[in-house]
Amino acid sequence: MKQSSKKGLWRGLAGLTCFTLGLSLVLGNVLEANAAAIDTYLGTTSTVLASENDENNPLYDKYTPPAELLNADGSGNSKALIEAAIDLNRREAAEGAVLLKNDNDVLPLASGSNVTLLGIRSHVNLLGSSFGVKAQGAYISLEQALSQNRTDFANTIAWSVGSRGAAPSATISEWKGDEFDFEGAGFNLNQTMIDIYEKLGETYVHYENEPAVEVYDPGEPSVDEIAAVNGAYKDSFAQYGDAAIVVVARPSAESVDYLPGGVAEGLDFESGEPLSLTKNELDAIELAKECSDKVIVLISSSSAVEIGTLKNDPEVDAILWIGAPGCYGMLGIADILCGRVSPSGGLFDIFATYNMSAPAMQNMGKIYYANTSDVLTRTGGVLGFTPGAYTIEAENIYVGYRYYETRYYDSVAGTGNASSPTGAWASTTEWNYANEVAYGFGYGLSYTDFTYEFDGEPVFDITVDPETGAPNAYATFNVKVTNVGDVAGKTPVQIYGQAPYIAGGVEKSAIQLLNFEKTDVLEPGASQVVPVKVDLQYIASYDENYDNGDGTTGTYIMDPGSYYFSVGNGAHDALNHIMAAQGMDATKMVGTGNAAQAYVKEIDENFISKTLFSVSKTGYAISNQLPYADWNYYQPGEVTYLTRTDWAGTYPKSYDSMTLTNEELIDNLNGYTYTLQTDDDTSDILWGQDNGVMFYEMYGVAYDDPKWDLLLDQITLEEAMYIFTFGGPSIPGAESIGTVETYMTENAGNGIAVNLNASKDPGAPWAIPSSDPNGNWHPEVFANAPMGASTFNPELMYELGVFTGIESLFTGINILWGPGLNTHRHAYNGRNGEYYSEDPVLSGVAAMEFAIGALDYGLVAAPKHFAFNDQESERGGVSPYMTEQRAREVELRAYQIAFEATKYDTEEYDAGMRGLMTSFSKIGSIECTTSYGLMTEILANEWGFIGYAVTDIYDDVDLWTAVLNAGTTCFDTRGQSGFYTSTTLESSNLFQNLVEGVGLSADLINGDANLQLKLKEAVHKNIYAWSESHLMNRYNATTHIESPMTWWRAAYYGLAGVSGVVLVLSAAMYVLASTKKKEEI
Amino acid sequence: MTNNKKALAFYLNAVAVVLGVAGVVLTVASGLVSADNPLQNMSLLAVAGVAGVVLAALGVWSGGKGNHTPVTAVCVLGAIALYSYVYGQCILQRVVLIAGLFSFNSGNTAGWQVFYVTIAAVACLIVGALLMVVGSFYKSVKE
Repeated sequence: MKQSSKKGLWRGLAGLTCFTLGLSLVLGNVLEANAAAIDTYLGTTSTVLASENDENNPLYDKYTPPAELLNADGSGNSKALIEAAIDLNRREAAEGAVLLKNDNDVLPLASGSNVTLLGIRSHVNLLGSSFGVKAQGAYISLEQALSQNRTDFANTIAWSVGSRGAAPSATISEWKGDEFDFEGAGFNLNQTMIDIYEKLGETYVHYENEPAVEVYDPGEPSVDEIAAVNGAYKDSFAQYGDAAIVVVARPSAESVDYLPGGVAEGLDFESGEPLSLTKNELDAIELAKECSDKVIVLISSSSAVEIGTLKNDPEVDAILWIGAPGCYGMLGIADILCGRVSPSGGLFDIFATYNMSAPAMQNMGKIYYANTSDVLTRTGGVLGFTPGAYTIEAENIYVGYRYYETRYYDSVAGTGNASSPTGAWASTTEWNYANEVAYGFGYGLSYTDFTYEFDGEPVFDITVDPETGAPNAYATFNVKVTNVGDVAGKTPVQIYGQAPYIAGGVEKSAIQLLNFEKTDVLEPGASQVVPVKVDLQYIASYDENYDNGDGTTGTYIMDPGSYYFSVGNGAHDALNHIMAAQGMDATKMVGTGNAAQAYVKEIDENFISKTLFSVSKTGYAISNQLPYADWNYYQPGEVTYLTRTDWAGTYPKSYDSMTLTNEELIDNLNGYTYTLQTDDDTSDILWGQDNGVMFYEMYGVAYDDPKWDLLLDQITLEEAMYIFTFGGPSIPGAESIGTVETYMTENAGNGIAVNLNASKDPGAPWAIPSSDPNGNWHPEVFANAPMGASTFNPELMYELGVFTGIESLFTGINILWGPGLNTHRHAYNGRNGEYYSEDPVLSGVAAMEFAIGALDYGLVAAPKHFAFNDQESERGGVSPYMTEQRAREVELRAYQIAFEATKYDTEEYDAGMRGLMTSFSKIGSIECTTSYGLMTEILANEWGFIGYAVTDIYDDVDLWTAVLNAGTTCFDTRGQSGFYTSTTLESSNLFQNLVEGVGLSADLINGDANLQLKLKEAVHKNIYAWSESHLMNRYNATTHIESPMTWWRAAYYGLAGVSGVVLVLSAAMYVLASTKKKEEI
Repeated sequence: MTNNKKALAFYLNAVAVVLGVAGVVLTVASGLVSADNPLQNMSLLAVAGVAGVVLAALGVWSGGKGNHTPVTAVCVLGAIALYSYVYGQCILQRVVLIAGLFSFNSGNTAGWQVFYVTIAAVACLIVGALLMVVGSFYKSVKE
């Protein structure tokens, strides 16, 4: 080779390796700074918390999975775990599915029936939400559950398509694990129709996890398209005409809503709305009628679908709501269809005939202030939210069934202009319950019949703590349930209540759920007395105008008068019983009432004082804390809230294009809610002390134990700031107390979103190794939340929490961002699949049971989104305006029940939840994260919440000081890692635009005593939550961090190393070649 | 500059200079698209980018005077390193944003604008660096 060619080669190599060296350094930095997220997505373990395990420093002795899920040597038994999940999901669906109609006892179908499935969703089932509560991994389809008994999961991997056009993807790549046996329904299915839908699936592409869409098309093929695939398809009906089952579905997911009128053109939606059925869907039902004289419709949704037509169609024999049942839930649906299980679910929401008739629907979606650009300076933040979005929740407390049932009551009573056509959608002349409602909240049929009667007088237990004034006021109703039908079955026992309403007084719902239990399986003729303990606080009303006499306003009151309680099959049935007891005109009632199923109690000052509930269970005086929730607080008289005094005159109008004029309102919206101090004397606040206390010693130490003070004083101010700033998804590490950087969180309330063989705690004795054939099983397999709620079974709800806790031990996740606990304000919320119900008691009990069950296995469940996440449209910072009564009685009550968890309190132990995630949304004009009233006064002081309170992802990072001041304990900085090195307080790009006009730095609060104290408290709550979790399994005196050589780390190390060496060599050779060339010259 | 007839490397390096200028301009622009998504150390990045472009231009100039001169080699290596630093910082500072855009935050209009400008900047700088790498193997003037 010529010398010049060699020189060129070396120079070229030097250039190439310079480039690859640079590339490897870039890759390395990107990967290390986001290692936690990379690990989750790639299933690698780039950092591991390591500890020696010996007699002096024992590990894994605090929480262990149950023995039946372990092998004899203590290692994890993956197959047993999966079988347990299949069994639990099956029971969840079998108890949660709601039988709405069963004319002529068409269900159950006999084993061996020849059945035709219709509707494309019968072939591609909707199992979960595409974003949020997905059904992940391999699943058992409806077709399999109805006709087979074994699966290898080879062709049933759930797919998901994200919101807003994201590309579809398989939730796991493949299944190479075990096969599983199951007991199917034993039907014979019409293969002709299965083949047709398989072919049509090429045009109408569906996935097991799909989102709501703003302009919706359910993707149902027409009858003509069916015929185009196989013109002789009807020939198969004769052979498979024992029954025709039609499946229709409406999906749900995070980040997008259905919108009023948001339907694709040309589909002939029945009411022009996305949750009504299209012509093609109705045609599929017509086809079913041609196929069989037994027509069964399965409704797969997490929101109320408009099915009034089906209810009234005599040729539609049965309707079964099946939710989004999860990976194995179709087994439970099959159990119901074949009669192995008698249905026992009750509806999670009311199913109105027309969803648009709900007063909440008059103000939802994308609504903006008229003068946003003129007065709002706060931008949309790092997530790019649109400033200036709001909703006026003018429906007041009348959400869901509270509206329809209360208006029904008043229409029968002839009060409040309730029968006026204003707000009626089925008639132009009157408002009539029978027209407006298809199926009521809590309603559900069984294959058998039950009678319910009160077994004696309820037992009232009312005491007041003499020191604090904290009330304990309960009524236990013993309900005798008798199975008077022919088959065995369970049934919910729902206790409802009605407080006396005084026209013009505090708003009160005519009926509200107070608590519920579920019977055991009762054989025909058998009875069971079920005690249902009701917290009377939930029949009290929040009077925001009540003068407390101490300078404060607003508290809970019990107006003296007649309080009614009843047991019924849903809210409407229960209300009818009360109306019967009150002697109301039966001819005007929809349905019949039985006065014997109602109980009246005269409550006066001598029995329960009017202000008994003005003090919380913690002994804290309750008063208004959220004045800024109400638009009228700033700009009086501009909003009229719905009142039963005049249904017609106050039925909400649409408040669009409101104009901001009040300066305080504008300042709040711009984030100016805290003034950073710079000159406070902070010398009394101790940081960095040497007290000799380490984190691993804190397991089981009570929150108020003085040992915490020693630990907290030991932390440095900078470490505390790291914990507050980055401590949402990870422990940032604090050398002073011996914590190391550890990823600890995951999403979703329907299982842990980490593959079984990608545990964050690979050192656990039960950790599933990568060699395990079932290793890529994904534990997020359970149903959407409404299915769990509809079980009305607290024990099952608890069991779901327990199992999720067990999953968390296998996957090394000690904090779960879930379950979802917001209210179904209306059916159009795209995220209803993640939230339980429109009713706070049903939601609160479900979340409480789940969280307490999870905590049994060291999993801190952190319900979200606290609070008021009533829609996904403009969810980032939308301002929902409402009355404080509405906020407390509807939105917050669910959280209150869950956080107080009084059911599990004992003399020795104040049970409660140890985590929550705040909402993107505001409450009125104030971000929930910065609301002192919400986060400190209500959450901590009234309810006694102690624990981790994290923001949603990157939320309100510009309001760092106000977030800390309010009582939120950490930010969700998901994806960031490498703290103190690649990610610092100063370098994180999330915190560089604080509202104070500066970037975050370690000395930001050096001169602010209040914030330093708040920081200490936030850190205390965070660490306390960690100490209550199974993270403590891994900590002892020897705990340290190790960084295993993952493949991606090896790749960039290798590339950098090789590039560096070749670069040096090439450069040297280039110099050498240049020198030789000169010599040649 | 001499009257030597220019060869492939000269033209590749010249294009790399143009791409470098575009890359630096786009990098700065990506930090200005949205007030909520600034680039940290913007001035340092700008200086590094400009220095990279200057070195690349010097490489073009010296390459036009003769093949495989040490000045050209040093300039090209320096330019590649600086281009890499700038695009690396662009990526590093946008990873969180980009991850959100492709998952939970797909509706972030401003974020997508930042993303597109960033991608353009990174593409210019990477292609520019690659052109210099390819040019390193070839002569800049015909002998």
